[in-house]
Amino acid sequence: MKEIRRSVAPDDLPDVATRLVREQGLSLAALFAIDERSANGRYLLRYVFTDRAAGSLLTLELPVAHDPGTFPSIAATVHAAALYEREIQDLFGLSPVAHPDARRLVHHGNWPDGEFPLRRDFPLGRKPPRAALEQPFRRVEGEGVFEIAVGPVHAGIIEPGHFRFSVAGEPVVNLEARLYYVHRGIEKLCEGETPERVLFFSERISGDETFANSLAYCEAAERIAGIEVPARARYGRVLFAELERLTSHLGDLAGICLDTAYGFGAFQFRMMRGWAYLMADELCGMRFLRSVDRIGGLRRDFAAGKADSLHGQIARIRAELGDTSALIHANNLFIDRVETTGVLSAEAAADLNVTGPGGRASGVRYDVRRDFPYAAYGELGVRVSEHNNGDVNCRMNVKIDECLASLDLMDQALDAMPDGPVLAAVGPLPPHRGAFGLVESPRGENLHWLETDADGNVARYKVRTPSFCAWPALCLAVQGNVVPDFPLINKSFNLSYAGNDL
Amino acid sequence: MKTILYWLLQVAAALLLAPLPIGAIRKVKALVQKRKGAPLLQLYRDLLKLLRKSAVVSDATSWVLRAAPFVVFATSLFAAAMMPATVRVLPDAFPGDLILFFFVLALGRFFLVLSGMDAGSSFGGMGSAREAMISALVEPAMLVGLFAVGLFAKTTSIPGVLSAMTALGFPLLQPSLLLVFLAFVLVLLAETSRIPVDDPATHLELTMVHEAMVLEDSGRHLALLEYGAALKQYALLALLADVFLPYDPFAAVPGVPGVLLALVAFAVKLLFLSLLVGAVEAATVKLRFFSVPNLAAIAFILSFLGVLQFLIPGR
Repeated sequence: MKEIRRSVAPDDLPDVATRLVREQGLSLAALFAIDERSANGRYLLRYVFTDRAAGSLLTLELPVAHDPGTFPSIAATVHAAALYEREIQDLFGLSPVAHPDARRLVHHGNWPDGEFPLRRDFPLGRKPPRAALEQPFRRVEGEGVFEIAVGPVHAGIIEPGHFRFSVAGEPVVNLEARLYYVHRGIEKLCEGETPERVLFFSERISGDETFANSLAYCEAAERIAGIEVPARARYGRVLFAELERLTSHLGDLAGICLDTAYGFGAFQFRMMRGWAYLMADELCGMRFLRSVDRIGGLRRDFAAGKADSLHGQIARIRAELGDTSALIHANNLFIDRVETTGVLSAEAAADLNVTGPGGRASGVRYDVRRDFPYAAYGELGVRVSEHNNGDVNCRMNVKIDECLASLDLMDQALDAMPDGPVLAAVGPLPPHRGAFGLVESPRGENLHWLETDADGNVARYKVRTPSFCAWPALCLAVQGNVVPDFPLINKSFNLSYAGNDL
Repeated sequence: MKTILYWLLQVAAALLLAPLPIGAIRKVKALVQKRKGAPLLQLYRDLLKLLRKSAVVSDATSWVLRAAPFVVFATSLFAAAMMPATVRVLPDAFPGDLILFFFVLALGRFFLVLSGMDAGSSFGGMGSAREAMISALVEPAMLVGLFAVGLFAKTTSIPGVLSAMTALGFPLLQPSLLLVFLAFVLVLLAETSRIPVDDPATHLELTMVHEAMVLEDSGRHLALLEYGAALKQYALLALLADVFLPYDPFAAVPGVPGVLLALVAFAVKLLFLSLLVGAVEAATVKLRFFSVPNLAAIAFILSFLGVLQFLIPGR
């Protein structure tokens, strides 16, 4: 992965960023700040662009003085920047100038003004007084327009989030999602921690993306340390990453069927998901794949002697999945339900940097595994699913394709896995270095930034999971659909709340 | 004396048999989905459990929310008792009428819709609006179908219809009645909140119809509403069984054993119809909400063709 870093002046930033995105075809993959006031008296903003065609990252670095603490907003032309700028405003107290919608994002109305938790002088454990500030939703006005408030606590066992629908009868005119009910302060907690301990935090960011997050973290740390991961561990990581993708996608497919009351399909996919969990259990004794990764490789040689058993289980899931896919595609009533429902346009997907199955269903031809190969993906050849209509049907088909591709990759990884050690020796990380970890989680492009302090401990750990980019896309895709279709559209994206709000 | 005995028998049969079809439908679906599923009699246990619990009622509600469970239960029970479980002990002066049957059920629904809106929550309101829309859509199909049956029997009184159908032997061989039967199956699915119109198993408030209206009810209020829904389903299944499957295999057995055997035959008919509903539920998915009018239109056309089929060739 090539990486270029450039400084940029505040006056030039909007033009440069707009040109990169609109003319060069780059995508804004992340935008985050770091408080460097103790070292050089200013904040630093990093604008990270991915050049998918070239497989390289471009970072623009913008220094921002504490006083007046403002930076130019690029959200009007680079739409993906809108949420990042609001996030920085809430967490660092730096204001984007001329932002089209500068309301609070992370903080709710009970958080007082003037408290910015990611500034280094905000002590860990500080509890600011409770405030009661107004926190307006976007209003849709007109005759017969009503608001439906749903959440943050829901009927099913799912994460908390408030959805405010503005409806005219059943059709949804506007949907606004208010998230950030699960803020655990992970980025703050990681400051000053040792790299070994931060690995445990990364595994607990989002329950169903455990391995993707720990892998992105390990990739970043290994890049800082400048070590080579042993080949057996690289193939082992492919095995675990694909197993996580398989369980995640099978769960989503079951959810799509269940939300259309198609019980047969739902229980087929749940059964296969159970089989996939059995494989995880056999591999590492843990269905959620925690404590598998380690900086420098894997904790143990988990796959040793299990290849035959795993091949057999993979074949069983592949056969059942093929049958089930044929059966549900032959059910016209079901296909009628998912076709043309919840369309996300290709333009919106590209503008908002929607990646993963949600993006690939809307014509985004991008997969980190192929375009920024990591672990052993460069040697395996990744099949990227291509769909264009952007509806629930396409997202479902992408997930079915990817389940089959994951099974093939697992077979290949087991066969190609050479013998040898699975863990490289890692000393302390060198001080004042930073690196990215970029992996494809089940939900899409997962970007982590790790930076070390003078002692080689963590100075800044920024995590941008794919859900952060895709939540606004979900709200767009729901527009014009009827209220009872929202759960189905939501399930077809199945975004993470915890991964969105660290 | 005979009348009192008859009504006692009817009410007992309705109360005892009503939760059975729901258990059977759930079992069929579970087996199709490779699950064991809940026991056949689970709904009986759930109702007993709920009946022992007190109801929590929001103080922001009016008398409607408290009255609705009783109205729904009473109307459903009345309608269910009106459909004979056996014609063996039919009294001489029997007041039942198909039109009355239909509008007694409508009264219960009216209160259910009101109670859904009473608490002022958005889910209840949405459920009520959807229920009102669906019932307005399927009402014509139901009424026209009843008229077709009435044309055959030359009366809408329930005993008159039953004796006419029994005289036919096997009514489904009549093209016009076959069409009406198909229409009634669709109406049954819509009226009893089954897939493809509603999903009785969902936990997603935004998609609910019937379940959304009863979200505010708990304890014995909920038990009455659930029991009422089961009785309503029983009443409609009994209508189908009585009108379209009047065959009594034990007609030769006299006296009390004959009555008991006829009741068993009736329960078997209910189970058969439940299997039909379960099979439909397992094979279909929930329709898009704005496709429900199409389903209602199909039901109406089937009923209407049934009437035409009767009128045009004559008999």
